[in-house]
Amino acid sequence: MMARSRSAKAAKAPVSRSCCDGVRSFEIAHNAGIQLKVRLSLKTATVPDTWFNRLVIGAVALGFLALLATGLTAYHLVQENQFHSSRVNHTFQVERAITDFLATMERAEAGRRGYLLTGVAAHAETFYDARKHLFPLLTRIRDLTRDNPREQASVARLIALTRSDLPFMEQSVALVRSGRRDEGVRLFRNSVGRRAITVLRAQAAVMIDEENRLLAIRDAATAGSIRLFYATVAAAGTILVLVGAGSIWVILGYTRSLAASRDALRRLNADLEGAVRERTTELQRANDEIQRFAYIVSHDMRSPLVNVMGFTSELETAARKLRAMMDRVDQKAPGLIDKDARSAANEDLPEAIRFIRTSTEKMDRLINAILRLSREGRRRIAPETLDMNAMFLSVADTHRHQLDMKEIDFSVVSRLPTIISDRLAIEQILGNLVENAIKYMSPGRRGRIEIRGRIENQRAIFEIADNGRGIDCKDHERIFDLFRRSGVQDQPGEGIGLAHTRALAYRLGGTISVDSELGRGATFRINLPVTCPAEQEA
Amino acid sequence: MNTHQPVNIIMVEDDEGHARLIEKNIRRAGISNTIHHFRDGTSALEYLHEAPDGPAHNGPALILLDLNLPDMSGADVLGRIKAADNPLRRTPIVVLTTTDDKIEIQRCYDLGCNVYITKPVNYESFADAIRQLGLFLSVIQVPDLPEANG
Repeated sequence: MMARSRSAKAAKAPVSRSCCDGVRSFEIAHNAGIQLKVRLSLKTATVPDTWFNRLVIGAVALGFLALLATGLTAYHLVQENQFHSSRVNHTFQVERAITDFLATMERAEAGRRGYLLTGVAAHAETFYDARKHLFPLLTRIRDLTRDNPREQASVARLIALTRSDLPFMEQSVALVRSGRRDEGVRLFRNSVGRRAITVLRAQAAVMIDEENRLLAIRDAATAGSIRLFYATVAAAGTILVLVGAGSIWVILGYTRSLAASRDALRRLNADLEGAVRERTTELQRANDEIQRFAYIVSHDMRSPLVNVMGFTSELETAARKLRAMMDRVDQKAPGLIDKDARSAANEDLPEAIRFIRTSTEKMDRLINAILRLSREGRRRIAPETLDMNAMFLSVADTHRHQLDMKEIDFSVVSRLPTIISDRLAIEQILGNLVENAIKYMSPGRRGRIEIRGRIENQRAIFEIADNGRGIDCKDHERIFDLFRRSGVQDQPGEGIGLAHTRALAYRLGGTISVDSELGRGATFRINLPVTCPAEQEA
Repeated sequence: MNTHQPVNIIMVEDDEGHARLIEKNIRRAGISNTIHHFRDGTSALEYLHEAPDGPAHNGPALILLDLNLPDMSGADVLGRIKAADNPLRRTPIVVLTTTDDKIEIQRCYDLGCNVYITKPVNYESFADAIRQLGLFLSVIQVPDLPEANG
């Protein structure tokens, strides 16, 4: 989609540029077909609206953003879950430590009671062994629950209880060991020992309850975060499905509209070819009409001209006879012929006849020029491969005598491109331009004619540069008009050559222009298609 | 049997001046045959086919034909005279016109024109051409016409 609009823009650029270049109407007509084609394709390319494009891009971006957010949330939830799990684990550790402590306490109590009852030393060992573990266990509980003030308070109480009760237990065991068993038993019967263990149990139960409460909270948190995780995953899945479906929908839509516009283009192209063909035929017809017109007019103008010249000759012959007769009369009867009659026969008549003759001769040349142009227009173009180097050199050879006489340096400066075009037309173009360059040299300096050529964008460009007298800027267009010339009229000519040259260049699908400054020489530039299309028979 | 019969020159030319110049130059070449001048195709054809002193009924002829005529194209006149069933089809026709278009010239020869001459604008060459035509006329052997024989 992007590439398409870009290429459409790129295609438009050169067209608009060539329109602004002020190319003459001929070329515009020549390019009309191509221009039309580009404009049509642009029209089809802009069918999908811009706001819709933006919407689609926005939606896709939103979808991906949502996905990213879901991913981040999931990551966060997993982290949280891990934290909760560790807390739950911690709770279990605390519970286990409390249970361990209780069990050890029970074991110590059981060992003491066994010893009090039986006096077997192994029981005393059990008591001491268990007792040894009591405080470390309590310390562990206290360390584990450092984050919980309530549990800390409970642990403190537990420690206090243990501290207050344990001396009684130790004392009763010590009494039995020292043989004062009865005292020991009495001490045991004293409610202190029993109370201690009961209170401890209760306290431990309180702690376990507290831990269970925490566990419940943490379980709930874990469950919550898992639920959230599932919800997030579900949301992500939904968004993915939506984005996917949307993308597929848009792609399908585009494919369909692409196919439609391709079909439309194909149809338009087909129509266009017809339109171009029709237009070409029309132009061809108009051109033919002009050619015919020029041809007929010049022919019909010739007919009266035959009379004018014919009867002028007759008149001349008659005048000559009259003059001879006057001479004879003069000899036989001098004074019979007056001065006026003599000057009429000897001066006025020949002068009038001379003017009529030069004018009609000039008119005949002009008519012939028009005829030649119109005939050239009717000639069929036959393109063939032309080695322009050879063409220029052969033109120079044709004018070798003049070049040598006027001491003009003729050189082909660069290797000229080879083109496919009509040999006769190119020969005439080059001949005219080289001839002009020779004709309008500056008398003061040594003449120089340089030929350059290059290829630019499928167009071959040839330059014929001289250092002659140059052409005034205001005449740069005028010199290409029929019968128009520029500068001092000190050279023979009718003002036909350049008009003919331009007509030929147009005929070959090319253009011709001039760069010049008065007194600084002139550069004529021919711009021709590298391959001149063969034309159909008119 | 008709060798002593003079050949009539029939000139079909709408331009008065051209006609005059042609006649003058033919005379200058020493040709004294009668010249019948017609300004359009219709009257020329009528004379050729119908007139009692015309070539269809009376003697051989040579036709000078201009292609630009007011009422019809000279090529039409040429085509009619050279048609297969026309008794005058063997009459020599000289097309004398300003047109030097190749296609036009070919067409005239295809239609059976015997000589095609382009009127040169330059009078000297024009006079020359006509005078040479005059010389040509003086040696030309005009064919017998069936009617003339009969």
